[in-house]
Amino acid sequence: MSHRPSLRIGLALLALVTVTACSTQVERLQATDVKDLSGGWNDTDSRLVSEEMIRDSLSRPWLQEWGAARGSKRPALIVGEVRNLSHEHINVNTFTLDVERALINSGKIDFVATKDERKGIREERKDQDINAREDTRNAMGRELGADFMMTGTINTIVDPNGDTQVLFYQVNMTLISLVDNRKVWVGQKEIKKLVTRSKLRF
Amino acid sequence: MPCAAACLAALAACATFSDTIQSTEHSLAQQRPRAALIEYEKLKPVPADRVLYLMNRGMLLRMSGDYDESTRTLEETKRLSEQLRALSLREQALSFTVNDASKSFVGEDFERVMVNNYLALNYLERGQLDAARVEALQVDLLLRERRQRSSADNPYAEDAFARYLTGIVYEDEGEWSDAMIAYRKAYEAYQKQLQSFAVAIPETLKHDLIRLADRMDLAEEAKGYREEFKIAETLSAADLRERGEIILTVHAGLAPDKRERATTVPNPATGRILRIALPQYRSRAQPFAYASVSADSNSTKTSLVENIDAIAVKTLESEMPAITARAIARMAAKDIFASAASSNSNDSGASALFGLAVNLAGVFTERADTRSWFTLPGEIHLARLPLSPGEYKLKVELHGRDERVLDSSEIKVTLRKGEKKYLSRHWIPTNLEVKP
Repeated sequence: MSHRPSLRIGLALLALVTVTACSTQVERLQATDVKDLSGGWNDTDSRLVSEEMIRDSLSRPWLQEWGAARGSKRPALIVGEVRNLSHEHINVNTFTLDVERALINSGKIDFVATKDERKGIREERKDQDINAREDTRNAMGRELGADFMMTGTINTIVDPNGDTQVLFYQVNMTLISLVDNRKVWVGQKEIKKLVTRSKLRF
Repeated sequence: MPCAAACLAALAACATFSDTIQSTEHSLAQQRPRAALIEYEKLKPVPADRVLYLMNRGMLLRMSGDYDESTRTLEETKRLSEQLRALSLREQALSFTVNDASKSFVGEDFERVMVNNYLALNYLERGQLDAARVEALQVDLLLRERRQRSSADNPYAEDAFARYLTGIVYEDEGEWSDAMIAYRKAYEAYQKQLQSFAVAIPETLKHDLIRLADRMDLAEEAKGYREEFKIAETLSAADLRERGEIILTVHAGLAPDKRERATTVPNPATGRILRIALPQYRSRAQPFAYASVSADSNSTKTSLVENIDAIAVKTLESEMPAITARAIARMAAKDIFASAASSNSNDSGASALFGLAVNLAGVFTERADTRSWFTLPGEIHLARLPLSPGEYKLKVELHGRDERVLDSSEIKVTLRKGEKKYLSRHWIPTNLEVKP
């Protein structure tokens, strides 16, 4: 009978351990924190690349040249397709949105809604034509035409060797003038990672 | 009593995966994939069988026409089997002491490649060409890595269909040189594997090779193919771009059934029971021969592009020496445990009983690993039908080996210039009996 209390404490401890092991753990992270889990493309890569692209594109001569030729008017951009040609399924939308947001917020560029967005807006305008009060109605045919289109690709080169692989991401973005198809800016950002898979698990 | 209870519990826990799939198969044979899916989802897989569960679920979802959910499930399969590649010492120990089925299922190499293939087909049928291209790159990585670690004499060194499908994706993307390389690799793989898997170079691939070689001005190579395949005329790449194209895959039958083959014998010297259990594939009857696709006056036939049945059987054959060695080692280990248990006490009656219990537990837990992706088709067939832009009522007829029409269906399609439409048809015979 003497070992009963210790047994009880032991059981209680065991129960506690089991309970802790079962509860879901959540740790809040800053959006800028770097956490690499699988080694694949993640939010950090998307952010790093878009930041670099924006810094680069705004510091290049095409912007000044445009401003010099047209006074103070800001160039209007439209995002075309950013193609994922890598070996991973990458959500290209979050990446293009990152780029778009930062460019708009720089105040140096106007962004035009994309093809799909425009469709919705036109429908709304049509609806306004019939239903809205005359002094609040927005007329059709007054859209801002884009001066440049931004397109891009995400490519990867993978060099695997056993449990280690080198992942090389190359993101290219191009700004093409809609007037004459001239490429006014080409940006490139590379990311290289060495991913080592763990050899053992439980 | 506790011993008996332990034995029972062990036996229940070891009920093999294939014991629980009868009703799923039954619904499939009745051409009711949705019902099969509902049956299958009743299974609550143990963590070790999670990958297998996802593979089957992904396939059943695809058969039911739920491509998006199928894609999500198969992507999850891929992620999980990647994680499970790391070696688990605990599972290794279990596989040497209890049985092989206690290890986490990651799938054979061909099953992992099939995950990519079916994902690519899912994406293609949903019109997501770039996503299918991602699968093409991944399958290339997988096969490349496979070649690095496997021996040269393995019959499944390449996956011919994966290469062929990859080529089709690249060609659709307009990436001619990559398409050419993939078609060439498919061609080489079909040639090499003709002996093992009995799949001749598909008719369509012959035309694809000539068209691409012409397109890339590889005159010598194109001439070589023309002579080898005895094809004088084929549609040029420029003409094909002017038309649309139907690419139909037919997934016929089911992959072979993996069963257990066990021998239980008493050892007269010790009085203890010895048991050895090994897996074995049993091919299913395959009444399907080919499908014909026709629209207006144009028609074509499918050719066999992948013989999963043969790949599965040959893969297991090549692994049999290792599986047998493990089974023998396990049998010896279990016998030593039982012997130790029966001689480990002063009370001879109790120790004999304990020894018997340990012996029985060892015998009961000796089960073969019969887990396999059973919802995979036995064979995949493919046809390409170029058509001028327009609306069509496509007629797909499935023919049996005795020329009988097994099934006939009509699909309405609208083709634009240069557009490729990917369609697929799953067909499972009513009779799923295995061949004797």
